[in-house]
Amino acid sequence: MATTTADRHADRHAGWDGRDSFGRLVIAEWTKLRSVPRWAMAMLAAVVLTVLVSVLAASGNDYGGGGPGFAIGPDGTGVRDEFYFVHQPLTGDGGVTAKVLSQTGVEGESHEWAKAGVIIKESTKPGSQYAAMMITPGHGVRLQSNFTTDRAGSQATTAPRWLRLTRSGTSVTGYESADGANWTQVGTVQLPSLPRRVEVGLFVASPVAIKIERQFGSGSVGASPTSSTARFSDVVVAAAQPGRPAPWSDQAIGGSDRVPESLLGSATQAGGVFTVMGSGDIAPLAAELDVDGVRESLTGVFVGVMIIIAVAVLFITSEYRQGMIRTTFAASPRRGRVLAAKAIVVAATTFVVGLLASFASVLLALPILRANGLAPPVFQVPSLSDGSVLRAIAGTAAVLALFAVLGLAAGAILRRSPGAIIVVVVPLLIPQLIAGALPLAAARWLMLATPAAGFSIQQTTTQRYDFVSSICLPEDGCFTTGPWVGFGVLCAYTAVALAAGFWLLRRRDA
Amino acid sequence: MNATTEPEPPAAAIGCGRGHHLGRALHAEWTKLRTVPSTPWLVLAAVAFTVAASAALTASVDTSLCPSPLECHEDTTKLSLGGAQFGQVAVVVLAVLAITGEYGTGTIQTTLAARPHRAAVLLTKAAVVTTTVLAAGTLGVLGSLAAGRAILPGNGFTAANGYPPLSLADGPTLRAAAGTVLYLGLVALLSVGVGTAVRDSAGAIVTVLTLLYVVPMIATFVTDPQWHERLQKLAPMTAGLMIQATSDLERLPLRPWAGLAVLAAYAAAAMLLGVVLFTTRDA
Repeated sequence: MATTTADRHADRHAGWDGRDSFGRLVIAEWTKLRSVPRWAMAMLAAVVLTVLVSVLAASGNDYGGGGPGFAIGPDGTGVRDEFYFVHQPLTGDGGVTAKVLSQTGVEGESHEWAKAGVIIKESTKPGSQYAAMMITPGHGVRLQSNFTTDRAGSQATTAPRWLRLTRSGTSVTGYESADGANWTQVGTVQLPSLPRRVEVGLFVASPVAIKIERQFGSGSVGASPTSSTARFSDVVVAAAQPGRPAPWSDQAIGGSDRVPESLLGSATQAGGVFTVMGSGDIAPLAAELDVDGVRESLTGVFVGVMIIIAVAVLFITSEYRQGMIRTTFAASPRRGRVLAAKAIVVAATTFVVGLLASFASVLLALPILRANGLAPPVFQVPSLSDGSVLRAIAGTAAVLALFAVLGLAAGAILRRSPGAIIVVVVPLLIPQLIAGALPLAAARWLMLATPAAGFSIQQTTTQRYDFVSSICLPEDGCFTTGPWVGFGVLCAYTAVALAAGFWLLRRRDA
Repeated sequence: MNATTEPEPPAAAIGCGRGHHLGRALHAEWTKLRTVPSTPWLVLAAVAFTVAASAALTASVDTSLCPSPLECHEDTTKLSLGGAQFGQVAVVVLAVLAITGEYGTGTIQTTLAARPHRAAVLLTKAAVVTTTVLAAGTLGVLGSLAAGRAILPGNGFTAANGYPPLSLADGPTLRAAAGTVLYLGLVALLSVGVGTAVRDSAGAIVTVLTLLYVVPMIATFVTDPQWHERLQKLAPMTAGLMIQATSDLERLPLRPWAGLAVLAAYAAAAMLLGVVLFTTRDA
């Protein structure tokens, strides 16, 4: 049936030159694709099942508001603001200097991002603005401010170290020194609405240690609070306008339910040496939780992609089975062009189908996720018009189109549907299944080295902070390399398969 | 396909008992199955994938990753049989092709002309395919256990650390081993049923693989513990593979045999659908 239409086209355009014949080829292939009722049904099923599964998966999700003990940061997002604070007020310009004598973990090893140093903070209210110079056991000296800004000072440095912060209007500058005499500037940060009177002093924090246990068939993520003790000497608060020296006070900021009473912290002073114990972290919350609402609302695509692969494989293998491929090649002896026309038709069709499926999935599933607790201020849910969301939706459609072309190429190479389906589907599914059983590095590599890496385009949370240990598990679809690397991997697989298909098609008998 | 050239099995069977008739039908189906060039390769693949994947998985787990070997809580039997999850791909293809291959070549019309009782044709075919898969599954499971026995002690899973060598004399291990063979047989039945209903190899393979793999994959994205458990109970693969568990049974959503029963229900439903469609539809 399809060929007669193609032939009609061929006859009608018989007088045309070769330039136009590719257009006719594309039309002929499109006629073949749309005139098989089962394939149209399958495409429709791909859309319906994708949306249905996405919506069902979204209904089965519960985010519980991100857990206890979070604060709202200066930009209105959820933050962790938990530490032990030894402070006194500072009015106007001035600064604080201290020598960190030592930094040690309490009850076991210290966290690589345990923090000890000097801080200038808007107030003792959790979530208020701050700038801090700190030393960490694993990442040297850092200047951090307002939860999301992190600047590295000297690396591979551990206590003892001199640290200093000076305030001038709304800018705060951090310095470090090995001896208290020669100072190096680490950087300057702007705290736009810093009040005249701020709290300055010493702080100690130690984040929750995240332990990822991976066993075949089950993985568990455990979080246990850690705590750290630091000793400070030579603590000087210098004000530009001299006044009465204020007394020190100390308190645990943002004492969260996650931290046991015994770890909340304490401070003692003897002979000019402060010993401060503290727990918690000063960091953005979203990075720690790492939940991507858009990716979660596209779960059903895994069903849709299976159906689309089947149709794409059949688009060429059914011609081999029925012997129609010989008619096709007789009508159009340049076989490479036939495959190109098929690839264009199947890619364009599945892209449109995928666009429909992924747009409807996000449109319907995102509000459900929001109702289940995936909502601000804890979670950042981008709006539909956001660039990253549009990239995820169009990218998902493109991934489906690429898998369709991959299926078509596999069909052209193997000429039989079972084999072609298996070589495309198994590398898509197996990494997802076994990633959870492998060590983290091996799992990340596996997810990035297989065609399934293309799904990384669904990521919308590109905001990842090196200084927060986030739970980014590859089997949950979290890629540390961002959205494009994985997409490129899938493109490369598709290109290689298509090239092999071209080569074999021209070389072999039909 | 040779078998279908025997023109009149019903006529020849007239004088004989029903048993002989069935014997000929089984023989015919067996001949069809074994003479398809892909069958020996798929059987080999089912065994080889199961053993190789089991060995690779077992080798990747080491007690040194745990705080102490005793705290590993590793179910070494389940670990050693993990390759069945991969070997089943070959089982699905084998079982689907056994029926869709006849549709693809048109042999099905000859088969039905020779034996008009369609339900009997399908059940005979299912019996032959399942028996073949059970045999391959037994080889795969025994190979996997042997690989596990060889690899585990080197990774610290020694008797001294509380992991006695795998042995079929141990009740739970025997249940896991026999259950895995049955699991593969049920996957074959499921595939024959779906293959009969769909009549097309690509569609049937994709349907079965989606049912087996994609549902558990989606379950990993569901964070609500209640829903997560529900999906694990309802998905044929995760439920069926609960038969492989030998320790911490109380933490499973279903008892081992109950889990296998879920898969059996899927297989029965698929076969029922297959028989109904096969007997009511034109070939």
